[in-house]
Amino acid sequence: MSIKYQNLQGNHACALGAIAAGCRFFAGYPITPSSEIAERMSLELPKHEGVFIQMEDEIASMGAILGASMGGVKAMTATSGPGFSLKQENIGYAAGAEIPCVIANVMRGGPSTGMPTRPAQSDLMQARWGSHGGHPLIVITPGSVREIFDETVRAFQLSEKIRTPVIVLYDEVLGHLVETLPLSGAAHKITERKWADESPETFMPYAETTDLIPPMPRPGDGYRTHTTGLTHAEDGFPTQNPETVVKAMKRMLDKFELHQSEIESYETVCCEDAEVLVMTVGISARAAKHAVKTARQEGIKAGLFRPITLWPFPEKAFKKIISKVKTVVVPEMNTGQLSLEMERLCPKKTKIKSINRIDGEAIAPKEILSLLQSVAKK
Amino acid sequence: MSNNLSKEFNIRDYLREDLMPHFLCPGCGHGIALRALLQAVHELEISKDQLAIVSGIGCSGRVGAYIDANTFHVTHGRPLAFATGLALARPDLEVVVITGDGDSLAIGGNHLIHACRRNLKMTCMMLNNEVYGMTGGQASPTTSQTRYTTTSPKGSIEPVFDACKLAEAAGAGFVGREVTLQMPSLKNLLKKCLQYDGFSFLEVISDCTEIFGRKNQLGTSPEMILNQKSSMRPDSYGNIVDEPFRPNFMKTGVLALNERPEYSATYRQHVARQLKSKEKK
Amino acid sequence: MKEIQIRLSGTGGQGLQLSAKMLAESLIQEGCQIAQSQSYEPTSRGGLSRADLVIGDEIPDYPLVTNLSALLIMDQLAAHASTDLIQPGGLVITDSKRVEDPPKGDFNLHALPLTETALKLGSARVANIIALGAMITLRDICKPAALESAVRRNAPRAFLELNIEALKTGFEMATKLS
Repeated sequence: MSIKYQNLQGNHACALGAIAAGCRFFAGYPITPSSEIAERMSLELPKHEGVFIQMEDEIASMGAILGASMGGVKAMTATSGPGFSLKQENIGYAAGAEIPCVIANVMRGGPSTGMPTRPAQSDLMQARWGSHGGHPLIVITPGSVREIFDETVRAFQLSEKIRTPVIVLYDEVLGHLVETLPLSGAAHKITERKWADESPETFMPYAETTDLIPPMPRPGDGYRTHTTGLTHAEDGFPTQNPETVVKAMKRMLDKFELHQSEIESYETVCCEDAEVLVMTVGISARAAKHAVKTARQEGIKAGLFRPITLWPFPEKAFKKIISKVKTVVVPEMNTGQLSLEMERLCPKKTKIKSINRIDGEAIAPKEILSLLQSVAKK
Repeated sequence: MSNNLSKEFNIRDYLREDLMPHFLCPGCGHGIALRALLQAVHELEISKDQLAIVSGIGCSGRVGAYIDANTFHVTHGRPLAFATGLALARPDLEVVVITGDGDSLAIGGNHLIHACRRNLKMTCMMLNNEVYGMTGGQASPTTSQTRYTTTSPKGSIEPVFDACKLAEAAGAGFVGREVTLQMPSLKNLLKKCLQYDGFSFLEVISDCTEIFGRKNQLGTSPEMILNQKSSMRPDSYGNIVDEPFRPNFMKTGVLALNERPEYSATYRQHVARQLKSKEKK
Repeated sequence: MKEIQIRLSGTGGQGLQLSAKMLAESLIQEGCQIAQSQSYEPTSRGGLSRADLVIGDEIPDYPLVTNLSALLIMDQLAAHASTDLIQPGGLVITDSKRVEDPPKGDFNLHALPLTETALKLGSARVANIIALGAMITLRDICKPAALESAVRRNAPRAFLELNIEALKTGFEMATKLS
């Protein structure tokens, strides 16, 4: 049987990945360059008896998906820079109250309104630290149209399983890029949320279970629990008791640590004997892959480390590779965000070289290649 | 799950008694509104398991937690946005939003007008106490002109919102107003809200005695609540600069009632039509 | 096959993105894999617009164009924006009416009466289709039949015949040159 192929846009792949993962609620607000996700969802969701709603603003879209998710329906929203800023408070609510949800952020040039139709990678740190108060969450940075589809599916799986917001983060180039993919009929694993099934009399919605992920009570099932953005005890009710507050935060942090092997995902290219390592994500990693392969043909011992789950950073895997590396090259379309992480993780002897572009153009392979060549000469 | 509904209304059947004593100040009107809501729920035999309360931030936002139901205490100004998602995803639930004048007219004003426009089935009870009580008594969009607050130390000079006119103009199917003094009437209005097939908006004039009342020397709690009916409650909604303490001319009761298509049903019909036309193809 | 890179450039509203989509569809029918990207300004009409294709046996590591095998320039606005990317001996087609000052360099430049011919056929809006026809004839990119079926799938129904006529006119225009 011959495989049939289709040409699919990155943003459409995100929408179709969400549908494949079981997403049945989308709330959004128009914003370039992510609007195609909402547009596609408005076509697809009715076919699956799901709900699509265009809300009055970005904040409302984020609120609505949390309402839907608390009601038990897999939910997502999509946005870009300015809208992502507006959503941050409710993303923090989702993290604190442990409400599963998926947020796609298609990055464009900034600051402020910036360059709506031009790509950037300037929200890498905002995705991790954007909401106040300090909390863990998951950020996934796919690198191709195929991967946008697959990683959106995985975003839902992680979100539902670990009870956390998951951000799917990619740049405008990938959002609007059309690539050929096999038209696959393969069913994707739909992760069912772990629902509370014990006696409502003794049920504690934020109990410290062995997997550190408490089951969720579904409204209507008789649990009648309380959900709040205030710091809360295991019973879900507000508390400012220092011990309880610390214990609750510790469980939340430990939850990510315990499930790290599932969360973690990265790609390595020629890393085994690499002396110069390129570390980047998204479209910049596509350029890096091309540059690394070309450098290898020229005899340069270059490698690529590409986090697919950017946050939490795949630290252990990276540290194994970095011990033999002399120079790390960090190409990114911002003024230097991943290079900060490299400064944190690399041994002192490792040189860190940045390539930064903020002009709304993608970093070309030759820019990375020429740096690899000049590093190799020294 | 049995709801242990006794025939006579007993508020204890509907409260989370573990959380008592509650945090409301003595004389606060919010408790009266809470009782009226619970009695309306009881009389309509709405199951506590199916009842979803969504509230925002502020004194009004904290009221929800005392109700023995599915309660969601969300971010400031956003309960209507959360409730929109919840009600659309779970049309089987009875969704009630408890919000305040700051929560729904200032920071969440956009959500209010669009919820009115959409007409998705839910009840929105706005407790209007003319002030940000929880943060220490700052001026709100309903603080009457000349009133003292911690951010209008020489008297407020800003015009106020008429929440009901706003809701009606934005298309709300059901709009009502009542004062906490008129508890039976308040309860009956809430019943009408809960029975209305669409978005119902009810403004409850509630007293902040401890902060707003004290600052403006409006008298003791009983005096304040009695003044809701008589002379001292200012007509917040007129031009009161020349005559600041006119008798209360605020209209109460059902202020607007329009039969409009309920949004969730409309959406589902729209989807069913699409699925049907797909089958034909 | 060796990787081919194509750019269609001009101003917004000239149908370049749709042209690229039709070309991409014909290419996957022939077993190629493509990466198609775009660049546009925040206006729906006017402003620099370009649609790029990287074509090969598999999806390229880097999906954006770096080395153009073929370039179409439909407007003076786009005339010099891509000159650095054209590979030596590459194909450059310009609209003879709308591009007064074409790029100069080591490539095969053809100034073709795209808009003029389109107007004669009935609408300036099919100039892009004439250009597509000419381009695949001058540089062996895909089979004419595959492109024709892609045009049939994507062209607005009311203008289908006009589009097919434009495509064939493009084939003929290029055949005469070569």
